[in-house]
Amino acid sequence: MARMKFLCDADRCIECNACVTACKNEHEVPWGINRRRVITLNDGKPGERSVSMACMHCTDAPCAAVCPVNCFYTTADAVVLHSKDLCIGCGYCFYACPFGAPQYPRVGNFGSRGKMDKCTYCSGGPEADLSVAEYEKYGSNRLAEGKLPLCAEMCSTKSLLAGDGEMIAQIYKERVIKRGYGSGAWGWKTAYRETIAI
Amino acid sequence: MGQDDKTRKDGEAGIGRRQFFRALGGGTAAAAAAVASVPLGTTEAQAYDPGNAETRSRYRETDHVKAFYRTNGYETLKK
Repeated sequence: MARMKFLCDADRCIECNACVTACKNEHEVPWGINRRRVITLNDGKPGERSVSMACMHCTDAPCAAVCPVNCFYTTADAVVLHSKDLCIGCGYCFYACPFGAPQYPRVGNFGSRGKMDKCTYCSGGPEADLSVAEYEKYGSNRLAEGKLPLCAEMCSTKSLLAGDGEMIAQIYKERVIKRGYGSGAWGWKTAYRETIAI
Repeated sequence: MGQDDKTRKDGEAGIGRRQFFRALGGGTAAAAAAVASVPLGTTEAQAYDPGNAETRSRYRETDHVKAFYRTNGYETLKK
């Protein structure tokens, strides 16, 4: 059984934020919520690194472990989804998640934030596939359409990989073997000169 | 002699602070005991149990998905 995973090739990410924009547009995500964000380390310094982050669909998800109403479930594709009908907006999952994936439509205290929203790996929610109710709550269900998450599909530098974990891991391994890694990568010395080694 | 005792007038009406909280504590314990004695069962919360339809696999290796894998592996394709 294929296990769905994201893998961001940090050597390729140019911080264009197109994945963030595409996600917001595809799912009509409300204001104040970003299901995906680009994090830049050492911004503006030589050797800066950007990584596109969203829900990592953990195998043993801490959000599911702390949820007081058990609204999370894992699909056969290893995608962690949740039911907005059950969510009470308590915010526990936000504190438990090491990636800051759970988001809320409003700023507020316990119970006043609204229903939690997070990356669904473009695979909707518990409602019927491709239904209007599913789209309104969770956005589009591209996996049911035989596609992959849009953020990865339209990545301009092909930095963000999505799909079967074994398949994208193989693609990434082959890239590293071909180009090298860090200061050994093709074009690295042109961009950062000889003196910088990471 | 404590500060409270110094400022309290002799023969003041009502109950003191310590007596008030002691009485409140006793009343709360009695109320908790009454609640605990009510039988539970009919309105017990149920954990969400998604059915097979919700958790079934949706991923398919369509031509669309194969094209994604192929284009992401361009630089490593055998010439």
